[in-house]
Amino acid sequence: MREKLLLTATSRVTRRSVLGRLAALGSALAVVPFRGLFFRTAFCQQGRLAIVSFHMDQPYLDWSGTAVPYHPPPGVRSAQGVAHLSEEMLRRTCICG
Amino acid sequence: MVDFSNQPAMKGFFAPTRFEADVYDCEVIGKVPTDLSGAFVRLGGDWFYPPISQDDSPFSMDGYINMFRFKNGVVDYKGRWVKTPRFQADRAAHRQLFGVYRNPFTDDPSVKGLDRSVQNTTPLAFGGKLFTLKEDSLPYEIDCNTLETIGPWDFHGKYKSLTFTAHPKIDPVTGEMICYGYEATGLETNDVFLYTIDKKGEVTRELRFKVPYISMVHDIGLTQKHVIIPVFGFVTSMERLKQGKVHWGWDSTRPAYVGIVPRDGEAKDIRWFKGPERATVHTLNARTEGEKVILEAPIYDSNPFPFFPPIDGSPWNPSKARAYIRRNTFDLSSKDDGFTEQTLFPMNVSDLGRVDDRYLSLPYRYAFTAYADRERPFNEWKAGNLAGRVNNCYGRFDLATGKMSSYFAGDTHSLQEVCFVPRKNGSEGEGYIMGVASNYAEMRSELIIADAQHLEEGDIARVILPFRATPQVHGRWFNEGELPFA
Repeated sequence: MREKLLLTATSRVTRRSVLGRLAALGSALAVVPFRGLFFRTAFCQQGRLAIVSFHMDQPYLDWSGTAVPYHPPPGVRSAQGVAHLSEEMLRRTCICG
Repeated sequence: MVDFSNQPAMKGFFAPTRFEADVYDCEVIGKVPTDLSGAFVRLGGDWFYPPISQDDSPFSMDGYINMFRFKNGVVDYKGRWVKTPRFQADRAAHRQLFGVYRNPFTDDPSVKGLDRSVQNTTPLAFGGKLFTLKEDSLPYEIDCNTLETIGPWDFHGKYKSLTFTAHPKIDPVTGEMICYGYEATGLETNDVFLYTIDKKGEVTRELRFKVPYISMVHDIGLTQKHVIIPVFGFVTSMERLKQGKVHWGWDSTRPAYVGIVPRDGEAKDIRWFKGPERATVHTLNARTEGEKVILEAPIYDSNPFPFFPPIDGSPWNPSKARAYIRRNTFDLSSKDDGFTEQTLFPMNVSDLGRVDDRYLSLPYRYAFTAYADRERPFNEWKAGNLAGRVNNCYGRFDLATGKMSSYFAGDTHSLQEVCFVPRKNGSEGEGYIMGVASNYAEMRSELIIADAQHLEEGDIARVILPFRATPQVHGRWFNEGELPFA
């Protein structure tokens, strides 16, 4: 039974389907604004606008709203753009990328 | 329910790491020098439960002690939460019970009177014991093999201050520890108690004095004859605390004071020098030359911390939050309260610098610290838009010649505090530098080991952790014989 399930899963994830999904993912990444994907760099709390900025090797909240925003990298495991991928899909993505 | 989803700065590489860890026989790129025998112990913090306010300081994060144990060229890693009463109370309640930084008025009533300390600043080995240090409370003793928490330590009841600095100095000549506590008699008091503790751990001397205004006295300078006490810019008040604010705010109108007291002196012997707005959070080294006392330190122009904002409501100014290696010279034969300041290197640096501790309080030549080299490449696609904003190099700063050499960690890395490990019987600066790098691209931490005399050649070894290590405040190397390691 387990072998059958594995076979089903394997046959479902063909090279063509992976490439197709990667293409779709790439298209999605291309049309979504870079900063909006991963962190909300500006947000509101109790009527105050803050920016996630960076100082002394860590992010901090700049309540003046004037600091240089921090945009973390796309494509890392915790990022929303790949958060939905299974571990297997992530690894395949990395190999292809 | 633990929910960090509304903490916008705690995401990605900086998301809380809430586990304890053991990694045996760590993965190593390169070869670990076999003469490194002992442990690199890091202390820092992470949020186990989200803070009650997004205005809180990272200095409120729960203490986490972790250790890279070196033996016969093999490295094991262990990490444990410091099990303070605060940590245990939070665990029991399944939520954050404590309010903002050093402000008990913001706590849940159920924890009134409980030790608020998070023990997240500096590891210390002294008298055969391992301690965690946090400047708002007594040291906590830690089992050096299991890293489990034993509890607070008051040096057989002879240490009377309610607080203990995160930066005691150990005199390499006598083995004595010079340490102190500020706000020594309680919250919002301007008392400082200064102690000498012999190498067996017995208190041999106590000096009580007052500072010009209640402020953060985070570090001191030590010479063979004097203790140097910087007081600068951060202010606090009971009124401020009752308003629910974090303990410190920055007052740019306050002068920076530097107190100098003979090591065998009394309170009446303290001489206070006065200078312009500055922040001397950490020191490198100091010495007495005749009538002159010389302090070298990475000194900021102004407030280094965005989470302790100006009290006048103005925005925190990052352009003034830069530290430069500076030399302050105090002339004890002078009639006025001024002193001279000299900037020794043109680039701003991390203020978490180290020297060869065998030369502490003595004439010395080399200082080590991290800095951001904006000429080096940075891969923003893999590591975020941090070019020029992270410390990507460790530097060896030669104070005799003004020259420096540097180690570059890579185009997706930032470097935490450097540690210098002297080679046995080696001359000053002969040995290794060590420190943890954050690899933003691989979402992992790497312990860097490089030859301190050949930094340009790159690292000798990288000890790879398969996860992000908790953020470090300070790390220290302890040799095999300094602690009762198994």
